[in-house]
Amino acid sequence: MAQPAQAASNQGPALQVRTDPSQNAAVGAAQPQVEARHFNFFYGAFKALDDINMVAGEHQITALIGPSGCGKSTLLRAMNRMHDRTPGAHSEGQLLLNGQDINAVEDLVELRKRVGMIFQRPNPFPMSIFDNVAYGMQLGSQRVPQREIPDRVEQALHGAALWDEVKDKIRQSGLALSGGQQQRLCIARAIAVRPEVILMDEPASALDPISTYKIEELMFALEREFTIVIVTHNLQQAARVADQTVFLTMNPETRAGFVVEAGPTGDLFRRPKDQRTQDYITGRFG
Amino acid sequence: MSADVRDLVASREEAGAVMNMGARRRAKFNDTVATVVMSAASLLLVVVLFGVIFLLLRAGLPALSWSFLTTAGSFVNTGGGIGPQIFVSMYILVLSLLFTTPLGVGAAIYMAEYAKPGRLTTLIRFSTEALASVPSVVFGVFGAIVFLTTFHLGFSVLSGALTLTLLNLPLMVRLAEDSMRTVPESYREASLALGGTRWETIRKAVVPSAIPGIVTAMVLTGGRIIGETAPLILTTGTTISPNATYSLNPLQTGETLAVHVWVLKIVGVPGLQDAQKVANGAAAVLLLIVLLVNIGAAYFTGRLQKRLSGTVGAPRAGGRKKD
Repeated sequence: MAQPAQAASNQGPALQVRTDPSQNAAVGAAQPQVEARHFNFFYGAFKALDDINMVAGEHQITALIGPSGCGKSTLLRAMNRMHDRTPGAHSEGQLLLNGQDINAVEDLVELRKRVGMIFQRPNPFPMSIFDNVAYGMQLGSQRVPQREIPDRVEQALHGAALWDEVKDKIRQSGLALSGGQQQRLCIARAIAVRPEVILMDEPASALDPISTYKIEELMFALEREFTIVIVTHNLQQAARVADQTVFLTMNPETRAGFVVEAGPTGDLFRRPKDQRTQDYITGRFG
Repeated sequence: MSADVRDLVASREEAGAVMNMGARRRAKFNDTVATVVMSAASLLLVVVLFGVIFLLLRAGLPALSWSFLTTAGSFVNTGGGIGPQIFVSMYILVLSLLFTTPLGVGAAIYMAEYAKPGRLTTLIRFSTEALASVPSVVFGVFGAIVFLTTFHLGFSVLSGALTLTLLNLPLMVRLAEDSMRTVPESYREASLALGGTRWETIRKAVVPSAIPGIVTAMVLTGGRIIGETAPLILTTGTTISPNATYSLNPLQTGETLAVHVWVLKIVGVPGLQDAQKVANGAAAVLLLIVLLVNIGAAYFTGRLQKRLSGTVGAPRAGGRKKD
C-alpha cells in the first residue's frame, strides 16, 4: 500500500495549502471557541451524528469536509440551533460555545446574535442593500441606536469588501446584485450584528470561480475578528482557507456521521493519519 | 438470409416507417388541435371582457357627465345622478376592507406560520373552505339576523360592511396564506440566524414579501364588495336618506351602486326621472371603477415588485417563459 504522503503527491495538481503562521498552530494553541464533546444528533430515531469531538479555535477558520450525507451541515446548523425548527430533531452530549452548552441556552435570539450564519444560496431579503445590512441591527435583540446604523452599515459593507461596488446604489434592491455580491451582502448583514462566530454552509458552492475567490479572500480578512466554521465540498477550498480541518464520513451501515480525523489543515492534507482520509482527499472515495 | 425473408423484413420496416410517419403526423395534428383549442379558449376570455366593456359603455357612456357622478337622482328634473351611491359604495368598500384585511392577514399568518398539522388546523381549513362556498345571499340572511337584530345595528352601512367582511374572509385568508407560503424559507432562516424572534421574522421578513399577494387579495375582495347586491339589500338597505347623503355616519342606511342598478332595473323607483338611463350609466360606472381598481393595483404591485427585487415584476398570471 502506498504511503499516504506519496499518494498525496501523486495526484494531479498539488493541493495548495495554507502556510501562514496560524496554519501550523496546534489545536490547543488557539482558544477553543466552539467545541463538540461526545456530541450525538438525531432526526427522530435516525442518528445523524455519532460521538463527534471537534474544536473550532478562536479567530481561526475551521473547515468541515466529508462526503455528501456525512452530517457536516447538520453539525454546523447545530451550532446555532437552526434545527430547533425541525420536528423530531434532538441531540445528546455537549456542544459548547466558549465553554457554555449551546443546547442549554434558553435565549435562542441571544445565541444567534453571537453565532451568525451564511447559507449555501445567497439569501438577501427583497429590500434595499442598506435595509438588508441594517436588518439585524434593527431587531429587538440588538438595539443599535438609529443614528449609528448608517455608519455601521457602511462599516459592515467595507468589512465584506462590497462597499466600493455598491456605495452609489445603496438604496437599490439587494436582489439586483450578482450572486457573488449577494453572498457578500449576506456576509455584511451577518457581521453587522458583530457575532463571535460565523458559520458558513458551503458559501461559495453556488458561485462562479471569481466570486468564490473573492469570498475566500474575504474569509482571511474576517478571520482576524471572527471565528469561522465552514462546511465545504470543495477540498481545494478547505486546503486554501482553513487553519484546521475536520474530516467526517458516515458509517456505511448506520449512515451516522462521525469524525475520522481532525487537525491542522496542512497535516491533514499532506500527512493524513487515517487511510479513509487519504482516500477521500485523493479522490478515491466520496 | 433468403431473398423472400429479406423482402419480408424490408416490407415490414417500410410498413413500420409508414406507421411511424402516420403516428407522427397524428401527434402533430393533435398538437395543432390542442394549441388551437387552448388559444381559442383564452381568446374567448378576452373577447368576453371587451364585449362586456363595449356593450356596457355604449349603453352607459351617453349618461356619463360630471354632474351625473356628483349629484343625487332626481324625482323632479331629468339629469339626476348617482353621486350618493358612489359614495356609499366607496364607504362600504373602505370600511369592509378595514375589517377584512387585518383579520384575514392575521388568520393567514397563523395558518402559514404557526399552525401545526392536527385536528384544529384541519377544522379551520375545512371551515374556511366551507364558508368560501356559501352563497352570498345566505350571508345576507345571517348578517340580518346577527347585526340587525341581535346587535341592533339596523339597516346600515356598518351592518353591510360587517356582513361583507364575513363573506370575504375565507377568500382573504386563503389568498394571503398562499402568498405567505410562497415566501422562500431562506428569508425566515436568514432572519432567525440574525437573532430575530419568530414574530420579528414574520413582521419584517415574511409579511413584507407577501404584500403583493395581499394586495391582489384586497383587489379581489374589493371587487366583490363593489359588485355584491343580495347581502347588502338585506343589511344596508336600498335607500339613502335624502338628508344624509354623503354622511360618514356608519349607522345610516345606504344603497351601493350595484344595489342601485338592481333596484332600477328590477324593482323600479316610481317617479324617478331617467331611470333606465341612470341604470345604464351606473352599470358603466361600476365597471369603470372595477377596471380602474384592477389597473391601479397591478401598477402598484408591479412597482412594489420592482422595488423589492430590482427587476420588473412578473405578470400576475402568464404562460411559461420561453427559453
